[in-house]
Amino acid sequence: MTGLAWRRVRARRIPHIRVGPWLGIFVLFAGWELAGRLLTDAFVLAAPSDILRYLSTEWQLMTRALWVTLGNAAAGFVIGNLAALSLAGLALVWPRSERVVTGLALLVFCLPLVATGPILRVFFGPGSGPQIVLAALAVYYTTLIPLLVGLRAAPDSWFDLVRSYGRGRFAALVHVRAMAALPYLFTGLQIAAPAAFLGAMVGEFTGAERGMGVLTIRALRALDVDMTWALATVATAVAIFAYLAIGALARRVLLAEPPVILATPMSDSAKRTAWRDAGLVAACAIMAWAGAIWLFDLNPFFAKGPGQVFDALFLASDAQQTRTVLGDALTETALFLVPGYLAGLLAGAGLAVMLVLVPALSSIAMPLAIALRSVPIVTTAPLVVLLLGRGATGTITLVAVMVFFPTLVACLHGLRQTPGQVLDVFDSYAAGPFTRLIRVRIPAMLPAFFAAARMAVPASVLAVTVAEWLATGAGIGSLMALSASLSDYDMLWSSVVIVSVLSAVGYALVSVIERRVLARYAPEQLS
Amino acid sequence: MAPDSTPPPEIVCTGIAKTFEGGTKAVQALDLTFAAGQTTALVGPSGCGKSTLLRMIAGLEVPSAGEVLIGGAPPAETLRKAGLSVAFQDPSLLPWRSVRGNIELALSLARRPVDATAVDQLVTLVGLDGFSDARPAELSGGMRQRAAIARALATKPGLLLLDEPFGAVDELTRQQLAQDLPRIWEAQGTTTLLVTHSVSEAVLLSDRVIVLSPRPAKVVADISISLPRPRTTQMGRSNEATDLIDAVFAALAEGMAAAERPLAAQ
Ligand SMILES: Nc1ncnc2c1ncn2[C@@H]1O[C@H](COP(=O)(O)OP(=O)(O)OP(=O)(O)O)[C@@H](O)[C@H]1O
Ligand SMILES: [Mg+2]
Repeated sequence: MTGLAWRRVRARRIPHIRVGPWLGIFVLFAGWELAGRLLTDAFVLAAPSDILRYLSTEWQLMTRALWVTLGNAAAGFVIGNLAALSLAGLALVWPRSERVVTGLALLVFCLPLVATGPILRVFFGPGSGPQIVLAALAVYYTTLIPLLVGLRAAPDSWFDLVRSYGRGRFAALVHVRAMAALPYLFTGLQIAAPAAFLGAMVGEFTGAERGMGVLTIRALRALDVDMTWALATVATAVAIFAYLAIGALARRVLLAEPPVILATPMSDSAKRTAWRDAGLVAACAIMAWAGAIWLFDLNPFFAKGPGQVFDALFLASDAQQTRTVLGDALTETALFLVPGYLAGLLAGAGLAVMLVLVPALSSIAMPLAIALRSVPIVTTAPLVVLLLGRGATGTITLVAVMVFFPTLVACLHGLRQTPGQVLDVFDSYAAGPFTRLIRVRIPAMLPAFFAAARMAVPASVLAVTVAEWLATGAGIGSLMALSASLSDYDMLWSSVVIVSVLSAVGYALVSVIERRVLARYAPEQLS
Repeated sequence: MAPDSTPPPEIVCTGIAKTFEGGTKAVQALDLTFAAGQTTALVGPSGCGKSTLLRMIAGLEVPSAGEVLIGGAPPAETLRKAGLSVAFQDPSLLPWRSVRGNIELALSLARRPVDATAVDQLVTLVGLDGFSDARPAELSGGMRQRAAIARALATKPGLLLLDEPFGAVDELTRQQLAQDLPRIWEAQGTTTLLVTHSVSEAVLLSDRVIVLSPRPAKVVADISISLPRPRTTQMGRSNEATDLIDAVFAALAEGMAAAERPLAAQ
């Protein structure tokens, strides 16, 4: 796999100027400007010229806020990635811990930032603690998973080589594993950089004093269209810049483009122990949770332990009512989440397939999609609300967009992975493009599609909860925000637990479907 | 003999066997002795267990039974001194290192000083002049194999294990390498084991050809080659060489036939 990644990438090194992406960007901006001009009176859309004008007058305010957020994001980025490196190291030296490490990591990744934010705020008080923690939480998983894949990506014969000179695991780590994992590490970092910015901004939504997130809330309350758009544009630009900068760094270090693929399907042995591993993960999580409260001697009024949450949900006199409130909120959320998630997946995969049938379009769309994938969509939530209103359409669209870009990029990548020889064989039977698509390309795309579908579960939960919290005032996101402001910590903790568990269950559900489908259509992908 | 090279060891395999986890018997009770400083070619049908045998001798695979002794000690001892080199069937070059970098890696893994001119000489020897700084992805399959051979030679090992090193190399280069390489291992006095599918190459390169039966590998014939050294491509067309080549082919066929008989009887 790594060998392949390095080879593929090599071929792309020849520098040549591509017009496609620039054309795409130009069309995008021209259309935007035009729409902005036409809709001036609707108070929903600011044209690029409006944004520039706003930025030129308010640049001091903006740069101050940007520096604060960048600082928090950078701190979280470093902490989160160090955590990812140490967890990957643990899984490496003690391979049996890997399933539990990744399981716990997933569970923590599924924590709804919207509720973790206020809880952290109570612990940290004012200051940048929560922003940094949320930024770290947003990045470590996106680094950990590719890193684990990368550390295993080297073929056995490279290790034989090291052994044949009488050297052990340490030399293998230094000379083979670490180097083979580097491209994957960069892939992770590339996605992590914008994610850190997103985490920091969400952290600032929860009662910080300074930063882009604070300005966003202010702009939204004041219905300041230019300011809202300017903030979202700056956030987007920062995200794309971070993504490109790490890509450039990767090319300097690796002399190559980092690989795109991020996750591997579950192995058979992993499937056999899935239930035991899940139980172990749950046990570890509960112990860590209770342990942290005990260790830091946290105030039981706002730090609810596993026992108290269980009480609140099942034993307390108002448990029935709590469950009803939670259930209603979750149902409301599901009505936005599920259609948005499915629409995003379908649109992403569908567009990828269409683009492959029209290769000329694909060369324009791919770089654009890769760049836009890095945009923390949630920071544009206020825009979607401005554009589409506070109803169902806005929220569903936001979720769909959040799911759409990663799916598109993964599927395009998967479609390109179709081995040339296999296509040659089909050509030799004079199979038409449609047959090739159905029989060869789509099966080759499936693993990438499912990897995206899995990662999209927590991402869409984040999108829907942020939208509900900032805008719609419905569903679990709003319930969490409300509970936080009413200091109803029983409800807040209960929702955190339920949302995390449901996200993890959703992720597992996608994995199950993935195995079923791959076993049927792409059995060679299951090792 | 170069001062920093390890003296060639004698290799003794007694009753070595390998059964893989799935129950595949790759090698069954082989007794083989390879004299110090000799070149032995191993030929046998694909999948008969040649690579497995080589890996057991290299100490990379633990035999299910029997033992390997290199110079009277288990392979681990030789490994510890970095006294052997393997050119693997798949060249296994690290893609992020240039040809030079891959060769230097072998030296630093073996804790030997890196001598730039010696590395250059090796690169020239395998005909990769001008490609020192190329990465494996920029090389053809045959060029990669040649780089892997250069890497294997770099540490001047006492024991050289070559697993089909010329598989993807074109015929002319093959002949060139077949002339040049023996000079090196003769000069260094290396014990060399060479797995190859080319019978003429086996005869031309070695002092002894061992013909193996289909899996699990058993010795069908053990033919010593007494052609004079240094060998040339022309020698391959001499009557003596042709007879030897015929003998090896006959042994291969015999091994195949013997393996099919019990199958037919079932
Ligand atoms: N790690 C392994 N696990 C299970 N079976 C193996 C393993 N390595 C090799 N085998 C099996 O052992 C047998 C011998 O393999 P080996 O690679 O030694 O053959 P070979 O003689 O080198 O073949 P070739 O000439 O094609 O390289 C084969 O049937 C192979 O499938
Ligand atoms: Mg072999």
